[in-house]
Amino acid sequence: MTFTVEREVELTLPMVPDIEIAAARAAGNLARQHGLSTDKIDEMAHAIIEACINAREHGSCEDKRIYLRFAAGVDPDGRSRMDVWITDKGRGFDTTDARSRRNAVGKPQRRGWGLQIMEAHMDQVDIDSDSNGTTIHMVKYGE
Amino acid sequence: MTDELKVLIERRGGDGAVLYTRGYINNVGGEEIANCAYKLMDDGVKNLLLNLKETKIVNSIGISILIEIIEKMMEKQGKLAFCCLTPVIEKTFHIMGLAQYAAIYKDEAAASSDMTL
Repeated sequence: MTFTVEREVELTLPMVPDIEIAAARAAGNLARQHGLSTDKIDEMAHAIIEACINAREHGSCEDKRIYLRFAAGVDPDGRSRMDVWITDKGRGFDTTDARSRRNAVGKPQRRGWGLQIMEAHMDQVDIDSDSNGTTIHMVKYGE
Repeated sequence: MTDELKVLIERRGGDGAVLYTRGYINNVGGEEIANCAYKLMDDGVKNLLLNLKETKIVNSIGISILIEIIEKMMEKQGKLAFCCLTPVIEKTFHIMGLAQYAAIYKDEAAASSDMTL
């Protein structure tokens, strides 16, 4: 990790309907304490919601758990940032395929928007996925 | 969880209505809005405004249901619009294409004036 972590929260949540709200609220509380603006917190919350839904819908995990880690800190250049890791222990997916199947922005299409919404609302999105599970790492920078 | 969606319906004139939502628009919330909208359409409503002032969180599944409502309204030659969106919800609507087929107004007064509600 190339930034200094000031505050950190780890959570393990059951994969039940609407648990994404609890995850988003926990991250929002930490981000608020860290001084992120309301608009940036709202964007981060919506990205976390999509990541949790993705884990619940596509993870097929035996343990039915979502593992979350939130870290609020500063870059070496002094810029504040919030890092979010969302992990499931499901069967994983082909990230190259998922990125290539993205919908055209602005074209009404009913499903398959999760990754694009995450990318639109966060400053950085990285996905690490294999047959043992998936971790989505996202970064939101402060002002 | 505590963010279960509530919908309040207000009829405006012969073919108009406003739906006020409060809470999370997910799959369940989206279906709730759809049920209300379809009943109104069956009852002759062709100008429908969704006021999302009390909705702060949406997800892509809920929005996909809103797209279905827009498509049904277009089939009936009607108009559906949104107002009072938070910046992040408006941004998400643009990403998913709702803005292309449904007008988005800053507030209800602007929507009512333009839609003659």
